[in-house]
Amino acid sequence: MNTSPHILVIDDEQQIVRALRTVLTHKRFRVTTASRGDEGLARAAADPPDVIILDLGLPDMDGLAICARLREWTQVPIIVLSVRDTEAEKVAALDQGADDYLTKPFGIDELLARVRVALRHQALTRGSPTPVIRAGLLEIDLAAHRVTREGVDVKLTATEFKLLAYLAAHAGRVLTHQAILTHVWGALEVNHTEYLRVYIRQLRKKLEADQEHPQIIITEAGVGYRFMANT
Amino acid sequence: MRSTISAHGQVLTALASVALIVGATVLLLPLRAVIDRSTMALLYLLPVGLSTALWGLAPGALAAFGAFLAFNYFFLPPYGTLTVRHSQDVIILGVFFVVAVVISQLVGRARAGLAAAQAREREATQLYELSTALAGARQVDAIARLTAERLQASVAADYVEVLVHPALGEPARTWAAPAAPPRPDTAPSHRLPLTAARGTLGELHAWLKPPRAGPLPERVLRTYASQCALALERAQLAQNESRTKILEESDRLKSALLSSVSHELRTPLASIKAAVTSLRGDSTLWTDPPALDDLLEVIEDDTDLLNRLVGNLLDMSRLESGALKPRRQWSVLGELVANVLTRMRRATGTHQFAVDVPADLPLVPLDYVQMEQVFTNLISNSLKYAPAGTLIQIRAWAQAAETLRVQVSNQGPPVAAEHLDRIFDKFFRVTAADRVTGTGLGLSVCRGIIEAHGGRIWAENLTPPPGFAFHFTLPLLWEGASAASIAADPEVE
Repeated sequence: MNTSPHILVIDDEQQIVRALRTVLTHKRFRVTTASRGDEGLARAAADPPDVIILDLGLPDMDGLAICARLREWTQVPIIVLSVRDTEAEKVAALDQGADDYLTKPFGIDELLARVRVALRHQALTRGSPTPVIRAGLLEIDLAAHRVTREGVDVKLTATEFKLLAYLAAHAGRVLTHQAILTHVWGALEVNHTEYLRVYIRQLRKKLEADQEHPQIIITEAGVGYRFMANT
Repeated sequence: MRSTISAHGQVLTALASVALIVGATVLLLPLRAVIDRSTMALLYLLPVGLSTALWGLAPGALAAFGAFLAFNYFFLPPYGTLTVRHSQDVIILGVFFVVAVVISQLVGRARAGLAAAQAREREATQLYELSTALAGARQVDAIARLTAERLQASVAADYVEVLVHPALGEPARTWAAPAAPPRPDTAPSHRLPLTAARGTLGELHAWLKPPRAGPLPERVLRTYASQCALALERAQLAQNESRTKILEESDRLKSALLSSVSHELRTPLASIKAAVTSLRGDSTLWTDPPALDDLLEVIEDDTDLLNRLVGNLLDMSRLESGALKPRRQWSVLGELVANVLTRMRRATGTHQFAVDVPADLPLVPLDYVQMEQVFTNLISNSLKYAPAGTLIQIRAWAQAAETLRVQVSNQGPPVAAEHLDRIFDKFFRVTAADRVTGTGLGLSVCRGIIEAHGGRIWAENLTPPPGFAFHFTLPLLWEGASAASIAADPEVE
């Protein structure tokens, strides 16, 4: 990319905005800010950003409503910010079209990682998807339905592969339990998180070096899972 | 309706007393030749007394008059006329009449007095029962309902209504008896204020059937109203008092919270401020990487500590308002524990950890985020009290088919036996507040969350010492089912 990516920060807390602006500008992003929901929507339309960082607790508008309004006309990646213990709200925002979330307080390295994933994902959806995904020593060939670890085939059942393929295709992004269940098992099974637990455990047993400390399929407490690919 | 039935009854009793006299005359007539007149007069007093005793004053008087006529007509010569021949017979007749009337009046009065006494006794019994019932009632609701029901039954009213004026932030409410029929359209026949020492607390409305209105039900209504008012006043006073107590208690807790929290929040803030100001004020620090690292670490660690403190405070207020409902999902406990330990890596220092959470443990229905908080708090507590370099153990096992047991133990000092229960109380701390950081909230949050999950938490001193352990249980069943069937899915190897 020739020009530096444009990030729109919508948050009413001035200290957070100030810190984000300083760090992101330092990292050579172009940063615009809005402290209200309507202002954010107007800015997003006037000067389309590459990533939106959206606080869910705005004074004038519900964060979920902003997500929905944005999704009416743009697929720009949205990273929502919220506080702990509002998992239901986070999940709702993700289901409403947000791409990722961060819990306040967060480390800047975490935020930068999320922004990078969002930018890369946007680049991917514009170009052709990569059929081969690498994570640790693992290589997943989505087209050939083949998973190898250090060159050795890993045998997966059909459901295990479907689950892994869905996670890997969205590498770096959080996927909610509901989204995974709907995609892999179908809309009727959306409440059966226990299926998910069992299959994730099976996958980790087969893929992770230390299944007690997973590095590839990460649990996002109360929300879902995240597949960590090599960058 | 009632008055016509009653008139009917009067006619019937009059006929009956006349019949009694006729019957007596028929029985006595054959004996006219053998029994002398004065004895006959005595015998005629029997039906007079009998009808007065049976049917009251008026039938008694009627019987006396009838007997007088019959005696004169059939038994005083010349027979078959109302004239009297002998002067002696005039005396007999006169005395008979006076005696008959006096007897009927005396017996009739005694009978009326008995009826009134019985009514008063019934009324007194009902009032006694009411006051006994009201004495046991502590709630406005129960008092008003009892009064309405008892009064309705006592005076056989069509409808009774007890209105309680708004008090103590409660809206005005109405209780009525009987519950089934709708409120009459007409205005109540009686309205009485419920007045007690502190003023009028409400109103009593009654719809009485017309003939029942009169001095007796009036008095009953007044008594019920005053009993009800007294009970209401007592209930409201008691409510006031307990409210005051609750307010005092919550005030006490709030000031304990504020003093504890301001101290606890200031401690990390002080070190953050110190680190930042030294970094800004002394540029040579920037070229001394170990010192720089130390200061930055202080800032990050204390920010995490502040975040945990605020998290516990929020959980506590949510627990108290009942808003902290677990959002349960089938979860893998081992994964949860590993996550917590990874997140707390920076805080764990030189302590050693031994985790024994078997991979084949059944899935547990729990709120992942809340349960992370429980483990974080129990581990923080262990880190605080157990000496550096000692071992902290986390074990979990299925205690029974439907119960999971978790133990978090450390090699810290024992806690006095009488404090073992109290450490889960808010703001309770075994050691002096300034020696160990913490708000005294962590363990009470744990208890709140575990109990909201339907489990139990307790602590014990380990033998042999030194050692201290937290235990808690969690149900493995969720809505009556376990996750066992899921693991048996044929596709899973």
